[in-house]
Amino acid sequence: MAALGTARCLFQSFYRVKDVQRIRKTLLKCNARTFCDETSVKGGAKPRFTDAAVQDILTRITGLDLQKVFRPIKQEMKPPTYKLMTDEQLEQAIQFATEEAKKQLQMPPVLPERKPINDVLAVDKILDGMDTAKYVFTDITYSIPHRERFIVVREPDGTLRKATWEERDRLVQVYFPKRGRKLMPHVLFKEENLKIVFSQDRHEDVLNLCLVQFEPDSADYIRVHEATYEDLEKNGKYNLLRSTRHFGGLAWYLVNARRVDGLIADMLRRDMLQDAISLVSLFHMVHPHSESAQEATSQQATGTDLLKIYSQKESQRSGYIELALQAYEEKAAEGSAS
Amino acid sequence: MVHLSSHLLKKYHNGYVVIRLALAGHKQANRPFYRIVAAHNKRSRDGKYIEQLGSFDPLPNIYNEKLVGFNFDRIKYWIGCGAHLTKPVAKLLGLSGFFPLHPMTVTEAERRRAQAKLAETAAGTEDPQQEEQKQADV
Repeated sequence: MAALGTARCLFQSFYRVKDVQRIRKTLLKCNARTFCDETSVKGGAKPRFTDAAVQDILTRITGLDLQKVFRPIKQEMKPPTYKLMTDEQLEQAIQFATEEAKKQLQMPPVLPERKPINDVLAVDKILDGMDTAKYVFTDITYSIPHRERFIVVREPDGTLRKATWEERDRLVQVYFPKRGRKLMPHVLFKEENLKIVFSQDRHEDVLNLCLVQFEPDSADYIRVHEATYEDLEKNGKYNLLRSTRHFGGLAWYLVNARRVDGLIADMLRRDMLQDAISLVSLFHMVHPHSESAQEATSQQATGTDLLKIYSQKESQRSGYIELALQAYEEKAAEGSAS
Repeated sequence: MVHLSSHLLKKYHNGYVVIRLALAGHKQANRPFYRIVAAHNKRSRDGKYIEQLGSFDPLPNIYNEKLVGFNFDRIKYWIGCGAHLTKPVAKLLGLSGFFPLHPMTVTEAERRRAQAKLAETAAGTEDPQQEEQKQADV
């Protein structure tokens, strides 16, 4: 009797574990499907965040600093393990580490803000005053993606409406809790607290928390990200996000807002000329009607010429960029001479 | 080895499967929480059930919501197998829109409205009386 009960429990738990993996795969497929929809619907009009060329450029300028990606994070204490390796094994281990780092540096999606749901399913005036509280009905079927779940609210005055996005997020977290997500968002995401955290240079932690807590197309996610990017751009602290998964989002935001000067100046200061060139080419891809883009296509410019055209036509801090370019060329000349 | 299968499934004569509310968490007084459950008719209310199909929290939360969860897929299966529904479950399903509205929900709403009106008129008659008393006192 008990054996059958335990066997049934085990069977049910295995079923759920298998289901979890299936759910994850379907969720990934759903995510991939939405990306494919976006790229197929808009062909070549305006480059989106998810285009292969754009993603390529953004991954290149993110950089891959293994020391920073695998820096010690707060984990439970384990004694360090030492391995004796040959040179070949060491190379293999480094390759493995680079692949792991690339997986960790996957950029979170940048989506337009979601439109609020105002769907009313039924208006039953005969039910007016049936109760003092609302009834919220959630469909707990395990094998539906969360976006397609039916979550419906019956108000005390009898209207049956679909739940708003905030209610949806909260209820999905109640019935299908995700690790790290809280029912009420962290106090950190209020304006005053954000300022304090930015003064402590902890932008990356804020962005990681935001990624866990909010959906990528929710208003809160976009607001927090914009606040972070604005603060970084104001203080020029681009290096905080370099070699993290958020750098691509930062670069995309700045390119769309046409305020790339600070970032280019920072790159030139750190002698990252290739990154600066790819950033300018990304700018020309996203804004093909700007003056510098048209000049570049007419002259078929590459390399430092791109930067010169950009600094002449578009940037506000052209003086700094030209100086930095000259310094770089002098260094290159000295290097080749000596 | 005794064959356990015949002892495991209690066969009921003319028994049927029922989808009903079962009280959970009886270790805490004055805090009800119901599980929506498919069980045999003759089983005790909180006893062994066949499958849990959802939950219902009758006390409103900080957002003034009463949370109800339904596993519609499995409910459809059990209704297809010929399960009966109790009145509260039928009312909840009617409120959710899955079923048509239960007539008792409408009746209860009308009764509440009638009571609210009575209370209003009673309050209305009390206020003028109080005002008269105050004027008399003054």
